[in-house]
Amino acid sequence: MILSSERPADFDAYWSAVEDELAELPVAAELTHLPLQSNEHSTVYAARFTGIGPYRLFGWFSVPTNGDGPFPTVYQLPGYGSVVHVPAYELRQRYAVLALRHRGQRLSDKPYAASYPGLLTDGIDDPATYIYRGIVADCLRGMDFLLSRPEVDASRIALTGNDLALITAALRPQANALHCSPSLLYNAASLAPKTSAYPLEELNDYTRAYPDRAAALAHTLDYFNPLHFADQVRCKTLLVTGNDRDFLSPAVLQPLTDSLAGPVTPYVSAHSSYRDGVQQAEWLSSHFGYSDTLLPAQWQG
Amino acid sequence: MPRPNPADYGTSVTKPADFDDFWAAIEAQAAAIPLNATITPVHLRSTPDVEVFEVHYDSLDGLRIAGWYCLPRQRSGPLPTIVVFPGYVSEPTLPKNLAAQGYAAFGAAPRGKLRSNAQYNPGYPGLLVHNILDRNTYGYRGFYVDALRVIDFLDAQPEIDSQRIGVTGGSQGGALTLLAAAMRPQIAAAAAGAPYLAGMMDAAVLTHTTPYEELVEYLRLYPEREQQVRETLAYFDIHNFVERIRCPIIVHIGLQDDVCPAETGYAVYERIGTEQKKLYAYDGYGHDSNGYGHGAVIDAFFREHLGQQLAGSPTSI
Repeated sequence: MILSSERPADFDAYWSAVEDELAELPVAAELTHLPLQSNEHSTVYAARFTGIGPYRLFGWFSVPTNGDGPFPTVYQLPGYGSVVHVPAYELRQRYAVLALRHRGQRLSDKPYAASYPGLLTDGIDDPATYIYRGIVADCLRGMDFLLSRPEVDASRIALTGNDLALITAALRPQANALHCSPSLLYNAASLAPKTSAYPLEELNDYTRAYPDRAAALAHTLDYFNPLHFADQVRCKTLLVTGNDRDFLSPAVLQPLTDSLAGPVTPYVSAHSSYRDGVQQAEWLSSHFGYSDTLLPAQWQG
Repeated sequence: MPRPNPADYGTSVTKPADFDDFWAAIEAQAAAIPLNATITPVHLRSTPDVEVFEVHYDSLDGLRIAGWYCLPRQRSGPLPTIVVFPGYVSEPTLPKNLAAQGYAAFGAAPRGKLRSNAQYNPGYPGLLVHNILDRNTYGYRGFYVDALRVIDFLDAQPEIDSQRIGVTGGSQGGALTLLAAAMRPQIAAAAAGAPYLAGMMDAAVLTHTTPYEELVEYLRLYPEREQQVRETLAYFDIHNFVERIRCPIIVHIGLQDDVCPAETGYAVYERIGTEQKKLYAYDGYGHDSNGYGHGAVIDAFFREHLGQQLAGSPTSI
């Protein structure tokens, strides 16, 4: 079943309600120094703060040891999986970095531990119960945490990640750069039937098992489609696409590219963690005004 | 200064004199534990073409281990089979796509992975250095056994052709692929990518990227423990297993791999025992090791060595 995605009439009200819930809760940040992960270049903390529910969240927060700051900051939004790495050694040397683990991911998994597969359809019959309502709120709360930190230069915050990074950029305009690789929520209901690969296969599994719920699933996903947030993204954006043979080809993502309100630079993935990794690192360096880029030894030269 | 040729790096790994005895004792201990396997249909994940099951079995230390098991609905036993081992942080694969091609397929979830973490959960980061001071308590001791027992489980299934089992995976999955090929001689073919857990102490010098950075961090905090760490890791370094491999095997690495440096990939490949081996070293690729382009090579390799399923009457378990 191919279902088109439409912006729900109460889209703004839905997200305003989420914002209201967040506003009623203090960030209540706690930082615990992590000697094991800290090194000569950066100090790493376990950051804990409160999301809606209330729900206590975890993130890796690192601060360069070189200088007093405030530092240009990279906020890494989480991917689809239970583990989020400690930020990379090279990245931590120059930037303050937050790597969030949203509710359900390890260290943010009490009381709710996400299933993989399973997370993508948890509570999906109703926008009010869909797990991604809380997950997006967690991402927003991570930004609130950063904006509360003296180590962070609030005028220089870049977001990196998948669809969650784009949604966060839309709802937290303090972010002034976005490096985004859509992979999960973009036109998900209509694209899922074209693949058998997880995580989108979770949607196929669900509609196969509960065909009478397909319309409800699509309706819920409409609230989370990056396409419907794009006109609120006014910051500079690097949008990563697949190539012409890929599922998320430039053509498939063109509506998203066209809808972003700020300046957009498209980038076709090389399907190489080396070449794509260098591209992202250099893009961040350029954005923050550095003439050089810190790279792993294997990526130099 | 240009980077030295990673193929020339070599290795500092040494094999303990009692390595074989150590693992023979563990294998004997594991063999005394019945699998007590349960196979539960998962209707939500099944399709008109593929049946999905969740498997649980017993392993060392009283742990219950999970895995995904997928079978083509149209099948005539015995089936060629592919085991997919997981990476360090990735979730276990649910290999429906392989079953749709006619293979039985198993997505392994050794201890600590989701659904196998109720009793043991060192976390990520954490697993690489968990209880590392003693080879008898090191986390990978049980983890390796959990992976090997996937093959033992498959051997016991009537729908499986135990002479046509292939193993594959990338990174940690690549390491477990090499381990299984070395320790289970019935493995017919193996395809490993960017193998992790090979040349571990060398990698900790060559890279600052996780997971190997866990070793660097640990030894920064406890430098006096380096010798103990080295001694433990020698019993688990994949280098010391691979000379046993006799099945056809392909290995792919990325020359710009910042996670499992190419130096360690070359070194472990050199030590693989079989002459039926081939290395694909991709320039311009990192830890992905050109998985995007190399998938077709792996598909063809397994078609050649495991053969295609013959048409026939459906069977069920």
